[in-house]
Amino acid sequence: MKGQASMAGAGKEDRTRPGDAVVRPRDTMAEHVAALIRKRSAAGELITAAEIPDLWEVEYPSFPDADGSGEDIAGILTRLVHENEDLHKLSGAGSPCYYSDLHMTAAYAQIVLHKQEGPLRLIAETVRQNSREYQRPVALDIFTQPPFNLEYNQVRDYLSIMTAMAGYGDIATTSSSASRIYLYSTAHLEREHAVMLAEWLDVGQAHNP
Amino acid sequence: MSGYGGWAGKVLRVDLSTGRIWTEDTIDRYKEFLGGTGIGYKVMWDEVPAGTKPYDPENRIIFGVGPLAGTGAPCNGRTAITTLWPTCWPIPLVASGHMGGQFAAKLKYAGYDAIVIQGKAARPVWLMIVDQKVEIHDARRIWGQGIRGATAAIAEIMGQDAVVAAIGQAGENLVPMSVVMNAVSHSAGGVGSVMGSKNLKAIGVRGTGSIRIAGKKGDWEKLIKYHLSLLGGNNQHVVPNSPQPWAEFYDPKSRWNASRGKRWGAAAHLVDTGTCAPRETNRIAYRSNTAAFFLGDNLWKHTVRGNGCTSCPIRCHTMLKVPAVAAKYGIPAVGQNTCVGLFFGSAFFKKLPDGPRGETSLEACMVGMHLADDLGVWCNYGQLQRDFIKLYYDGVIKKKLGSREFNSYSWNRYEQGDPAFLFELLPRIAGKEGELGTALGLGTGHMLERWGLSEEEWGKDKDLSYWKMGHPKHHASEEAGQCGLLINLMYNRDAQCHSHTNFLRNGLPLPLQKKLAAELWGAPEAVDGMGDYKPMHPAKARMAKWSLLRKELHDSLSLCNWMGPWVASPLRERGYRGDDSIESMLYKLATGDDKDREEMDKVGERIFLLHRALTIRGMGTKEMRDRHDRIPAWVFADKAGKPPFTKGTTRLDRDDVRVALDMLYDELGWDRATGAPTRETYRKFGLDGVAAALAKRNLVPP
Ligand code: SF4
Repeated sequence: MKGQASMAGAGKEDRTRPGDAVVRPRDTMAEHVAALIRKRSAAGELITAAEIPDLWEVEYPSFPDADGSGEDIAGILTRLVHENEDLHKLSGAGSPCYYSDLHMTAAYAQIVLHKQEGPLRLIAETVRQNSREYQRPVALDIFTQPPFNLEYNQVRDYLSIMTAMAGYGDIATTSSSASRIYLYSTAHLEREHAVMLAEWLDVGQAHNP
Repeated sequence: MSGYGGWAGKVLRVDLSTGRIWTEDTIDRYKEFLGGTGIGYKVMWDEVPAGTKPYDPENRIIFGVGPLAGTGAPCNGRTAITTLWPTCWPIPLVASGHMGGQFAAKLKYAGYDAIVIQGKAARPVWLMIVDQKVEIHDARRIWGQGIRGATAAIAEIMGQDAVVAAIGQAGENLVPMSVVMNAVSHSAGGVGSVMGSKNLKAIGVRGTGSIRIAGKKGDWEKLIKYHLSLLGGNNQHVVPNSPQPWAEFYDPKSRWNASRGKRWGAAAHLVDTGTCAPRETNRIAYRSNTAAFFLGDNLWKHTVRGNGCTSCPIRCHTMLKVPAVAAKYGIPAVGQNTCVGLFFGSAFFKKLPDGPRGETSLEACMVGMHLADDLGVWCNYGQLQRDFIKLYYDGVIKKKLGSREFNSYSWNRYEQGDPAFLFELLPRIAGKEGELGTALGLGTGHMLERWGLSEEEWGKDKDLSYWKMGHPKHHASEEAGQCGLLINLMYNRDAQCHSHTNFLRNGLPLPLQKKLAAELWGAPEAVDGMGDYKPMHPAKARMAKWSLLRKELHDSLSLCNWMGPWVASPLRERGYRGDDSIESMLYKLATGDDKDREEMDKVGERIFLLHRALTIRGMGTKEMRDRHDRIPAWVFADKAGKPPFTKGTTRLDRDDVRVALDMLYDELGWDRATGAPTRETYRKFGLDGVAAALAKRNLVPP
């Protein structure tokens, strides 16, 4: 048996603790944009390039226009991601989004991104990720909880829509013996495995407390 | 007493037959067995001959705590109670029950590492311990009372800072399915009637001393902070149950189920549990709500707070307030418990009017909790309720009871899921009333024998969860493949081992678990995906051995094996590694005994080996592989007929399990043919005397 990591890290500051103020000089436009990204991340949201000019007006009314600085926003964002360890670009179905990992992990940012892309994609990508990375089906009702916050019946309606739409053919359902609906992706989980896992998660674990 | 820290230094001895009270030096006699189950097994080996019965005055009941009890080490509040097990079938063998609460710490503060009780009092008594003052008191006034009343009566005498471990009517009436309980809800199942057989109603302890830490204060504080930084939620689940901005991973089945917006709705002032992020170590107590985990999110509004054992920030005994039950059932509106203790009542019902997570279910939980925790009835990890449902719906109860007794129960009420039915059933189990009350109180093995039912048949039904020797599985092959199976073979009651399952259910994705497993047990093959089992591998045997030794170490140090070990952590910056040396680091600093992880593992192995030796001596055979390490048939079956090692089944393969046993025996230095430890193995762990005694009876393999 190999030894594990030492006590190093005990008492180290948590980089991801939400609410921590990140103090940086704000004397350039790029730094202001970086601060905007971080602020949005702290609120659990992503930011797109297109949103920046509007936000800019509210946050920094005394500064020159965001798009009148000589360096366009896209250029600033590229530079920021390159120069700041905590800032990241996320590409999805729509425009690229930006976030700071001081306030949210990449995994969480992906969920927020899918949320912005609409409920069908949110449901499908969450189901796929669970089947792929964790080898598990997910109960339909997790989508009624934060950060998804959908209505139960809405989710059922979205699932009906998905069955008739291209691009969602892998999203499948099964029910536990306690009638709880579980979702999985056939691209990553075999049906019999998903059926067994749904039963284990909903009923079996209750018998194995 | 030497200069060691950690230990209190004395073991308290009480002979209830003669009234003699004396002490022994812990270090002289028991240091190599640490405390807890270690002291328990040692006393049982030295003093209780084979053939002794649980209720014989010669049987001992040992309340053992460890060198970490009462210190600042996280989760250190566990007392191990070792004795001959009344529900172990067909013959009683050694086993231990474990209670948390405040008993372990108070016993240490009073100056004792263990209490060994022998003999039988001529009339009901209770034991009062106030530091060096130890007295046997008349208990006739409290005999016949429930645990609540007895505790209150003794607390009135001893003061509010005393802790009382008491039995209820079930223990007094020698019902094998009975508990001893302290601090409202912290019980050890299976041992209540052994106290009852000695006419011992309760033990009250008040301690005004302290525990000396051998290491430097600063080092100790740093270590405690480090340990806290590795803690996850309940059962060491290291990811939250829903996506959180701070988390890379989540698992809807994680017991780390609090987050911003989740509120203790019945607290005096509404409490929001907050972000509950890993580095917020002063807020660990907000991370887990056991009641909401088991009974549904509806429970948040009934939550007053978490309660728990000494020095444990997890506080898994959720305190609930359900005002409706006070008027409806005449029980207090507030109750607390954890795990199977929480749903003791609802688990009796196959159907409840508004489902398993509705209000009626909650009411059944409250009624069950109050009745069982006062009468002192044990559920045998839910086997009592599973047996009851099967016996009723299979028509066995009707067949076995005379019509008069059968009709004295409101079966309509039962079938409709009315919690009030529990008022008819539970007192009759505690009072050994009638055929049904008596049979259910015996425990599964003896009940089956009494009613002429086949244990083998019980072992075919996976949903019954029955394992062997009168007890159920406890995280066996159904969730942990060969590793879980091997662990469950080893004990004389349900295994109560969480070392493996706390790792497997920690919520990290499988590739990450495999990475950690490779570091810990030598190969990623140590762990499989759920329902995607692979053939036996040596790393699985190493994981099983490690799990067993950690359990014995925890039980002997007073650490909580429901929380530990801490080999995974919620810390991303550590690659989610925990620390496999945390037990030895705590032990070394607390006691001053310079033992590293490997040396501590040896101590754990010595303790586990002694348990095996006691089992061999008790059974009078060395043929453990065939006669003790038995496997129920459901392990090798699949309802849909799926073959082993195909996705979607937890079915195991008989030949593969034979290999698994060979590998575990090899790891432990036990003989493959018999499953008995070799003479060389006993010698290696300093148990030459044990080997010699067994050899005289031909109980050591050639
Ligand atoms: S996790 Fe629960 S049982 Fe274990 S020490 Fe903490 S409160 Fe006690």
